[in-house]
Amino acid sequence: MNFQNKSSKLALIVMWGLLITGLGKYGIAFSVEGEEAKAQAVQPVMDCHESRVNGTSVTRVEGVVPQYGYPNIKCSKKTGIVLWYGDPYDGTIPMGQMPAFDDDTKVDFVNAVVKPREPQLMYFNMDPDKHCAVCHNGETVPFPKNKKPRLLAMHQDVVEDSLQLQHGRGAIWCLDCHSAKNRNKLIDHQGSEISFNQPQKLCGKCHGEVYIDWRRGIHGKRSGAWATGGKKRWWVCTECHNPHTVQKHRFEPITPQPAPALPRGMKNADHERSEKHVP
Amino acid sequence: MNKLTAFIVDFWSYALKGSPKYYAWLGFLSLFMLVGVYTTYRQLTEGMILTGATDEITWELYISNFIFTAHIAAAAILVVIPAFMYQHKGMKDLAVLGEIIALGFVSTGILFVVYHVGRPDRLWHMIPGLGYFNFPNSMLDFDVIVLNVYLIINLVAAYFLLYRRYVDRPVHGFFYRYLIWLAVLWGPLIHIITSAVLASNARMYSWASAVLPFAFLSMAGASGPAIIIIVFLIIRKYTKLQIDNTVIDLLSQIILWSLLVLSLVFAAEFFTVLYPSTHHAASLKFNMFGHNGLDMYVPWFWLIMAAIFGSFAALLFPKIRKSYDLYLPIICVIVFLAVLIEKPVILVFPAFSPSPLGEYTQYYPTFIEYANVLAVWAFGFMTLTVTLKGAVGILTGEVKYIEKAADTVEDAVPAK
Amino acid sequence: MSEDKKGMEAQELDDARREFLKHMGIAAGAVALASAPDAEAAVFQEWFQTHYELMSEQEKQEAIARLETRYSEEFGKKTTVSNAPALPGVLFGYALNIQKCIGCRTCVHACVQENNQSRYDPEIQWIKVLKMEKGNFSFSPDKLDKGYPESERLGDYGLQVGGNAYNSVGVSSETERYYEPETVPEDDSFYMPVQCHQCEKPPCVKVCPVRATFRDPSGVVVIDYNWCIGCRMCQLACPYEARRFNWGEPNLPKEEMNPKTHYYGNRPRMKGVMEKCTFCLQRTREGRNPACMEACPVGARKFGNLLDPQSEIRLILATKKVFRYKEEFNTYPKFFYFMD
Repeated sequence: MNFQNKSSKLALIVMWGLLITGLGKYGIAFSVEGEEAKAQAVQPVMDCHESRVNGTSVTRVEGVVPQYGYPNIKCSKKTGIVLWYGDPYDGTIPMGQMPAFDDDTKVDFVNAVVKPREPQLMYFNMDPDKHCAVCHNGETVPFPKNKKPRLLAMHQDVVEDSLQLQHGRGAIWCLDCHSAKNRNKLIDHQGSEISFNQPQKLCGKCHGEVYIDWRRGIHGKRSGAWATGGKKRWWVCTECHNPHTVQKHRFEPITPQPAPALPRGMKNADHERSEKHVP
Repeated sequence: MNKLTAFIVDFWSYALKGSPKYYAWLGFLSLFMLVGVYTTYRQLTEGMILTGATDEITWELYISNFIFTAHIAAAAILVVIPAFMYQHKGMKDLAVLGEIIALGFVSTGILFVVYHVGRPDRLWHMIPGLGYFNFPNSMLDFDVIVLNVYLIINLVAAYFLLYRRYVDRPVHGFFYRYLIWLAVLWGPLIHIITSAVLASNARMYSWASAVLPFAFLSMAGASGPAIIIIVFLIIRKYTKLQIDNTVIDLLSQIILWSLLVLSLVFAAEFFTVLYPSTHHAASLKFNMFGHNGLDMYVPWFWLIMAAIFGSFAALLFPKIRKSYDLYLPIICVIVFLAVLIEKPVILVFPAFSPSPLGEYTQYYPTFIEYANVLAVWAFGFMTLTVTLKGAVGILTGEVKYIEKAADTVEDAVPAK
Repeated sequence: MSEDKKGMEAQELDDARREFLKHMGIAAGAVALASAPDAEAAVFQEWFQTHYELMSEQEKQEAIARLETRYSEEFGKKTTVSNAPALPGVLFGYALNIQKCIGCRTCVHACVQENNQSRYDPEIQWIKVLKMEKGNFSFSPDKLDKGYPESERLGDYGLQVGGNAYNSVGVSSETERYYEPETVPEDDSFYMPVQCHQCEKPPCVKVCPVRATFRDPSGVVVIDYNWCIGCRMCQLACPYEARRFNWGEPNLPKEEMNPKTHYYGNRPRMKGVMEKCTFCLQRTREGRNPACMEACPVGARKFGNLLDPQSEIRLILATKKVFRYKEEFNTYPKFFYFMD
């Protein structure tokens, strides 16, 4: 056998070998399953807040929707804000009686539920039934004589300086919204008491444009069903806005969730932080 | 053993035999393919995350190289034209070589597409009947059709002629001539369709332009004949096949005029960047000048432009065009490499920045990606080398059908 | 005699050649079989399934059952894959109030909690929040007579390019997305989230070579994850950068997986297929709001049925300043932006 024949045979064997190896590897390739998901035994966040950091708090409870094993909420590891609701109606009560109008803000509130705000009226572990009336009963703290603005002895954590109330720029003061005789209720300019669970009845008297949009569902938030007339959880005013600090920020700034991962290969995002954004 | 089997066996056994240099070349290519077996396995199992592609820059080196192989495949057929213009019998042989080169690059291109797709095991979804073929809406489907038809046309035309030459029978002008004309028209068509695949995406501002088919065809006209000239010079040097100087001259002229058209295309694009400089030209500006510290593509851009315009200027001189031993091959290699590298660093990667939402990114290819690209190129060049060798063998008459005594053994009367 | 011998030698050679080919064939077959897919019959059969829309009812049930078995095993919890069809008489629309958005990315992460995206390698998020700086406001009276060409040269013929050019104000062509300040909103920026706009004339649907992505009857553009071949033409065609690709096998930790899934919606995907926002169709087809909409702490997101004149989305279109992003692409998206 001369050199050429042997080499050509060798070449033939090499090419067959490559072909079979390649085919075999290809076959194996599609039977290999994906990598095992790395188990990260991280405890889920238990104490979370909704829109407002100091306004609302929700505790995670497992198994609220047993059919799918859903907890009631899933929260952000970084900031504790509620990201996801297993059951959007968890902890809600019916909204209650609301005025009916005959325009495009006409809403049938039969299926409207809210998260009650009254349980938030807790101060120094006071009586959970009497709430504010524990102190504001006319004796421990006397009822005020008039609604003229003055400095408060307490509640500086709610309102830093009661003479500089950040609501209406001096146009209104605490007792314009809070009932002087019954601190467990709000009060309107006609003297009707309004529950803390329905602040829209008070806020909407001055903030009419926003109230109209809120009734339409354009302002604020409604979770639950998307269909008109479906069961929805309406978010009331004070769940998002703190009426005592609104002029500083209409909505209190919150910490954002983490930034997305950089594209593979890019080391940093400095190029997008440049001053020049001209293409 | 019948004639067809004899043809196949003789073709391959001639093709796989050669000088030590020949084996060294094939061995060199096999090394890349061997590494490629491993890296392909990695990519098939772990997915395309092993490449540098991201959601921001979604096209990787595979598809960039596919476009380039489509350039060559489209242009390779141009070598057929002299055979019919000059009516020279010897020229007809070169038509076959052109088709074989086209075949080699089309199959390399199809292989690149298989690497580009995220689920190659699901490619059967495109077969009409078995799957769903979204024709005529999807330009990719058009491309699939035209590429496969081109493959079949060239396969039939080239090997039919080679087979007839092998058994020493003439090729009937009638059927064959029309097949060749179809191939000549089909070549640029595959390239127009490939440019349509890119241009159909309105959000890619630098692709959705009227100039893209002309850019592609002129780049095909430049890079295709470049590699063919090199192949012909090698064949002329190492085999007994006669290739006339007029053929080489025609090809270098095609390169020259293609580079002229290409220069006009680039000039038109630069005008939109430098004169009105609106957002539509942002990605070309990013390519030319960088943006806010991201300037990976800037040196490549100017290098490629220098190579292209420089080659154009050089080819204007007949002295260079006729320097078959020194300057012409160098210019051809420069043009080939310039158009090859232009695909990823000018056409594809910078076109994705700024993204529709205003993000600038750069592309970082990975080792596995490079290895796979080299492996596919090695496969392509190996196919090309081997099939060209076989074809040259038949065309020079070294491989001929000989009625062997063994074929008539059944007729032999066993001796008593 | 010598002819006979030659003849017999030739015969032997023929035989030897045939034997060789037979052996090679058997070897190749053995190798192929040995590396055939693992015992997972379900995965094997899944490969053969046709386009979901072209399946018969029974084939669909089989496909669903296969998927439920596979997911339940893979994630260790009982997974349901719903087959719920699109609701009749419904066309979903989305509106986002850019006046209100503060760029907190709660929607981005809520979507990830609901829709079973890969968490790392690659990290997939269907919503991108863009930050646009209001501008550096470096307009200055000192620059009035600077610029191009310099005014001394042309005297009263005026500057062609003013000295206050190249100051970016309200630029949306280059945006930031990797911001992470202490609090949002930052004083000098405004924010705009972008996700799949569910176009009425989707370019992604047009370019898909196998029609793996298509528009369902309620207007949501969906993807059959088992049909997608991963060519990424749709990602190339989308003007909103809405589509995401599973570059590798998705990494989804078991405890984070949402077991209530839909075939076209949030069921866990596999390597090499596209995915994108589906307006949470596993929820919306059952009457519930999308996860991003429920998560937004400022109520910037509104969702509803565009065919219902009393829905909030229709009221927004009727009463607010609404625009479509990149409307020049003529994709007629059903995701609107508004200001109030």
